[in-house]
Amino acid sequence: MVQINLPQNSKVQKGKYYKDQTGSKNIRKVNIYRWDPSTGENPRIDTYEVDMDNCPSKVLDLLNKIKNEIDPSIAYRRSCAHGVCGSCAMNMDGKNGLACTKPHKEIKGDINIYPLPHLKVQKDLIGDLSTLYKQYASVEPWLKNSKKDENKENIQSIEDRSKLDGLYECIMCACCSTSCPSYWWNGDKYLGPAVLLQAYRWIIDSRDEERKERLKKVADELKLYRCHTIMNCTNACPKGLNPAKAIASIKKMLATS
Amino acid sequence: MKNDNPLSPHIQIYSWHISSLVSICHRITGIINIIIITLICFWVSFLLLGNSNYELVYNFFGTFFAKFMIIGTVWSFSFQILSEIRHLFWDLGIGFELKTSNITGLLVIFGSFILTIFIFILGRNLFL
Repeated sequence: MVQINLPQNSKVQKGKYYKDQTGSKNIRKVNIYRWDPSTGENPRIDTYEVDMDNCPSKVLDLLNKIKNEIDPSIAYRRSCAHGVCGSCAMNMDGKNGLACTKPHKEIKGDINIYPLPHLKVQKDLIGDLSTLYKQYASVEPWLKNSKKDENKENIQSIEDRSKLDGLYECIMCACCSTSCPSYWWNGDKYLGPAVLLQAYRWIIDSRDEERKERLKKVADELKLYRCHTIMNCTNACPKGLNPAKAIASIKKMLATS
Repeated sequence: MKNDNPLSPHIQIYSWHISSLVSICHRITGIINIIIITLICFWVSFLLLGNSNYELVYNFFGTFFAKFMIIGTVWSFSFQILSEIRHLFWDLGIGFELKTSNITGLLVIFGSFILTIFIFILGRNLFL
């Protein structure tokens, strides 16, 4: 259901203001969404003044600096810091992306950092992605092949292999799914761009023998056709992939098969 | 188990892109068009009922509000048609690259206004 307003317990309040202690001349204000499950209070926006003279280039570096030097209580996910693991996906400056690959120089004005949109918040910038993982499991993202001969290579032509380009690179960071208004309103039923891109990755794999079953499973008014080509997913993808095109390809396969 | 954790902000904070703007306008103009088509049907059946009704409709279309409504309708139909053409290409699997979709999105937005002006001029017989 379309629910424009946030529920009462999710209304964002004004939070604390952390003034710069270093006396630096090069200051930027960083507004960060905070919610502590132990207090029972509503979420708030804390503002930090950060000395940019001693800060590396990416938004994740900025967060690390705040956590190390200003406020150790702030919580966020991060791991590889090189855009490969997808842990630090968040909403920066109104757009989803990976904090470790987004330069803060690209953001004009104050830097606003929120968790990924329309998720149940676990703490601060950490959203609950368990629904998405369940949906991912539902498309059975593994190779289904009846050939039992393990001593032989399962050969794929160069052409067939190239069909997986632009699909296999997906790191499941959920930037696309949580940017999609359709997924906001129907996230429990609609699979969302990330999962549909993965579904297509297995549908189009020449080695997989269950293409028909996979197509049949995904051909559902709610699971697939809630995609209205809003293209927020493609705009958001930090790896430059095109989930909208993958979804259109599934629709096209269903229409022509 | 019920999850009482807060919901992270979504439409309140997410920035608009050309494609999302065109998408929501496509929906809105679609709804407007359905209402307008119904009104046009009423208008036509009204005319069948005779002379006095024709006068009524004629006088109504003379008002500023009605003129605004007509131009709005022309824009709404123009937008819907151009956007629909864009969707037809998408259905063929063409035009999904970010750059292409941004260009076609802008074409739809500006094209709808140009088409509106064009139809207005055509209706006024200014070409002849």
